[in-house]
Amino acid sequence: MAVPEIFNTIEQSGISRWLRESQSIFGFYFILLFHTIGMSLVVGANAVVDLRILGVASDIPLQPLKRLFAIMWTGLGINVATGVLLLTAYPTKALTNPDFYVKLSFIGLAVFTMYRMNVRVFGDASLSEAAMVTKGKVMAMWSLVFWTGAVGSGRLLSETARYFFYGHPAGG
Amino acid sequence: MNYAHLHLLLNHVPVIGSIVGLGLFLISFFGRNEDLRRASYIIFAAIALLTIPAFLSGFGAEQMIKGPGVSDALISRHEGSALLSLWFMEVTGALALIGIWQSQTAARPPRWNVSAVLLFSLLTVVLIGRTGNTGGDIRHPEVRSGQEAVAAEPTITEGTIGAFIHTFEPAPDKFSELVTASKWWWTFMMAAHFLGLILIVGTVGLLDIRIMGFLKQLPIAPLHRLLPWGLAGLGVNIVTGLLAFAGRPENYIFSAALWLKILSLLLLGVNAAAFYLTDIFGQVEKLQAGEDAPFAAKLVAASGLFLWFAVITMGRYIQPLTDTLLGTN
Repeated sequence: MAVPEIFNTIEQSGISRWLRESQSIFGFYFILLFHTIGMSLVVGANAVVDLRILGVASDIPLQPLKRLFAIMWTGLGINVATGVLLLTAYPTKALTNPDFYVKLSFIGLAVFTMYRMNVRVFGDASLSEAAMVTKGKVMAMWSLVFWTGAVGSGRLLSETARYFFYGHPAGG
Repeated sequence: MNYAHLHLLLNHVPVIGSIVGLGLFLISFFGRNEDLRRASYIIFAAIALLTIPAFLSGFGAEQMIKGPGVSDALISRHEGSALLSLWFMEVTGALALIGIWQSQTAARPPRWNVSAVLLFSLLTVVLIGRTGNTGGDIRHPEVRSGQEAVAAEPTITEGTIGAFIHTFEPAPDKFSELVTASKWWWTFMMAAHFLGLILIVGTVGLLDIRIMGFLKQLPIAPLHRLLPWGLAGLGVNIVTGLLAFAGRPENYIFSAALWLKILSLLLLGVNAAAFYLTDIFGQVEKLQAGEDAPFAAKLVAASGLFLWFAVITMGRYIQPLTDTLLGTN
């Protein structure tokens, strides 16, 4: 299957070229930095909630951790925004890479689990802490698995890329 | 200030520091002096942290002095020795931190920990001593023995102990090749590095924002129990970071961002000392839900959080700033 021409069109656009070629410290690496920070917020906060539900530091009261979901959604928002920009800079590199779709799948599953946990475990104020833990255990475990998968496959992207730009295959 | 200068300045720290730490540790066995033992643990942890820039600066120093009149074989021997002793130093520091952590709840570190620290600190002093000696040999022919002292490209002779230790020392080039040979291994290391940072931001970050006054429904003591996970993340990151550096030092050594990252980590050590070695920790530890932390505690927590994000930022900027510091700077 040939690489879709539209990737080339995107890459020739002003914004895409600025993102790739700018020497400004607010260029590509700045966006990548915020992608990293967003990741640390969403996965860090989610990991803490997951670990607590799985029994780590069990004296931490569970209900107040509901407020951490605001941090998680903020981190996710930052990463959607920066992710779109990164994709604008390198559409061919990402969208011709199967690993990119693996990463998006892991993220989708992790966010879905995050949402369900927010609604089913923390959304019901009448649940006791013990009930919350029982309800949330399996979700917490899967959440950790999915986020680890997302981070791992994200890290693999540079090694599995087949093209750097349209018409420029990645070398050995 | 250049790399050679920095290395000469810093390399005294692991040598002398490990001896001082071991000395206090051994004395603490007389009369079971827990205060002295705790002090020696703190010293081991601090020295382990400072050994990192000492190690890193070695590569820059090498770039500066290698050439005619300086023996490549002697440099290589020193580098191999450093590659071995570094790990023992870091393990000693890690064990000391674990011991400090466990003695919070139990008044003293457990038996296994004391034995482990004894073993590793003894080995560390010996190995770091060899690293210091082999380093001195590079530029000080007057301390070399016999034949070595005279020849410009000396054949390396070892004493009995040196020869024994040498069998364990990695050849620096082979070590670098091993780390960089497989791109899957490299990616795995970087993925582990990211997972480590996620654990740090999640656990330490939550404790810090609570101390700063957010999420007041949480009591502080239980949050503190998340910290071992953060420290495990830090451990993973120090290991993967040092491995990455040893694999491709030329990638990192000339990047201004790397040194700013290391500086931020050292400042975090100071930050931790300000938190735990003063009475700030005592004031904060017992705070219940709804209670406010003292201003000094908030300041330390805020600066800690800021410094961790500085570490992440500088880490991300290592690559684009790769050639910002050149060899003889």
